Amino acid sequence: MALAILSATARSEAFQALKASLDMRSAALVEVEAILPSGFAELDRALCGGLPRGGIAILEGDPSSGRMAIAARFLAQATARGLAAAVDDGRLYPPDLARAGVALERLLVIPAERPLEIARAADILLRSRVFGVVLLPQAPLRTALWSRLRDLAQKAAALLLVVGTQAESDLASFASARLHCTIERVSWTGAPGPFCELAGYEIGARVLKRRRAIPGTVVRVRALAKRGDAL
Amino acid sequence: MLLCIHVPGFAVAVTRTREVWNAMLDALDALSPLVDDLVEGTTYLDMRGIDGAPGDWVRRAHGVLAEFGLPLRVGIAANKFVARAAANVRDGCICEPGGERALVAPLPLDLLGLDPPTLERLHLFGVRTLGELAGLPHGPFVRRFGRAASLWHAHACGVDPEPVFPRARELQIDASLYGEGTAERAEQVYFALRLLVERVCRDLSRAGKAAALLQVTLECENGDVRVLQVGLVRATSDPHAMLDVLRAKIEGASFGAPISGLHLRVARLEEGGTPAALFACGEPDPQAVAVALARLEAVLGASGSRARVVPARRVEARFVYDVFLPPASFAYDALAEPAAPSAVPQLRLLAVREIDVVLRGNAPSFVGSPPRVVIDCAGPWRIDEGWFDTPVARDEFDVLLEDGALYRIYRQGERWYVRGVYD
Repeated sequence: MALAILSATARSEAFQALKASLDMRSAALVEVEAILPSGFAELDRALCGGLPRGGIAILEGDPSSGRMAIAARFLAQATARGLAAAVDDGRLYPPDLARAGVALERLLVIPAERPLEIARAADILLRSRVFGVVLLPQAPLRTALWSRLRDLAQKAAALLLVVGTQAESDLASFASARLHCTIERVSWTGAPGPFCELAGYEIGARVLKRRRAIPGTVVRVRALAKRGDAL
Repeated sequence: MLLCIHVPGFAVAVTRTREVWNAMLDALDALSPLVDDLVEGTTYLDMRGIDGAPGDWVRRAHGVLAEFGLPLRVGIAANKFVARAAANVRDGCICEPGGERALVAPLPLDLLGLDPPTLERLHLFGVRTLGELAGLPHGPFVRRFGRAASLWHAHACGVDPEPVFPRARELQIDASLYGEGTAERAEQVYFALRLLVERVCRDLSRAGKAAALLQVTLECENGDVRVLQVGLVRATSDPHAMLDVLRAKIEGASFGAPISGLHLRVARLEEGGTPAALFACGEPDPQAVAVALARLEAVLGASGSRARVVPARRVEARFVYDVFLPPASFAYDALAEPAAPSAVPQLRLLAVREIDVVLRGNAPSFVGSPPRVVIDCAGPWRIDEGWFDTPVARDEFDVLLEDGALYRIYRQGERWYVRGVYD
């Protein structure tokens, strides 16, 4: 009734204002939902909020560089709100994932070692559109396959998290985000001996690629252990 | 009137007792629609309103069950206990209404199924038959023997208040396509399968049920028969979800000849219906999970699993993999945060291989070939287990090498192995 007594111009203006307000709110919502934060304030700041859903993100580094510690954090974030999947090339160690906060009952583990198997597994997982994050070991795949996986991730609004040594040029071009990790400092609980344990290490994560982020920014993330292996 | 059929020594005389007993009960449907399946070997049929005299019923019962070739005892009476007692007296015994107490009176107390101490106590009181028990005053007898004694006394008087419980009908839902040509291409098979799925889902919806396990039988032209069991993560009556899972399962199969027949059967039924939630739209679809699992199994030969941490001494024994089942409730807490406040070092398991290690004192100082200097080292942690079958005795170390790599290595006997790398 209130609208009925307004003039046509005023009605149009009111409608436009309402539409703009709704658009702004929904855009903000989409922006929040489209990014998966790591939960580390400094890293999230460097990554403009986190890693983008609907694309490929690569964690690069040597075999002992802290990549998995950061990947586990993203898996923990994903399993806190839904389901995630990990393609396991035989190296996954679930007890440490659980310590990192990953809800193992919400993490689907697929054993696959050969590149084609890894690609097929990723394809099926992304097509299902139910897994928020799909963790993948880097495999030498053809450009067309990476392209397809990127498209599938985009359609599923899922994050395809690739853990590898160094991204090949085609994979690097398809990736929405790249992080290079190194272990910078290792700390122990005491003097060398049977009562000494690994206390943790500091990971230097350098942003190589991320839209709106400053390339080359280095963020330090602490990984703390409480393993209880010592007797 | 109730008709009791008792097969003496049924469990001993028959193997696969449940199947045979079900077949016998199915056959007895010809006698009465109300068949009570309480114990294998004994059944009661409610004969009220059934044509014929009691003598005819006895003959019909023998005729119906003759094909099974088992010894039968048939009794007829007004209630279950007396009908069972009548069958115990002799085959074909018929107790006329009003004669129940007289029929059971001379029978021994064993018919009540009492435990030996109670039976002995009654014998000490001089009670040996049901007639003698019925002669006892009800109130004092129940006060002395407890609440259950009330029923014993009623049985001894020829009274049994227990009604007949008709057995539940086993619902069979299936559909098949035969004799309508052959299917040579996958699309033709999927088309036929879609028809069957729609029929089955229609029947499921009518019955208010959902399918938890499907069985597809594919008959080839050359006589081969392939039976596929397809499990559904969550029972469903949705044709799209069912067809997706079936397709995913069949994608991995290959056939030597065109398919000439298809049969789809619901192998396990569950109650249908899904509680609707107000804010469930963001939850993962369990059927999509089921389809993904079926596809993974078809393509990779291994379905997905989920890890579970178990207490163990050895690193590689600290987890096991179970079948992946999405949580029954997808009520995720949107505000939930992971428990760990910081990152956690992640051990990555490597294929166990022997390595060269140079010791200084009792700790590694050079590792690998070419040798790399050990900067820091923690350990040894002694693991000694499995002495009763496969003994494992080893010393584990965490070593930091000069290039910054952190490894978990161990010594077993005189040899050194690498177990994992921290990443």
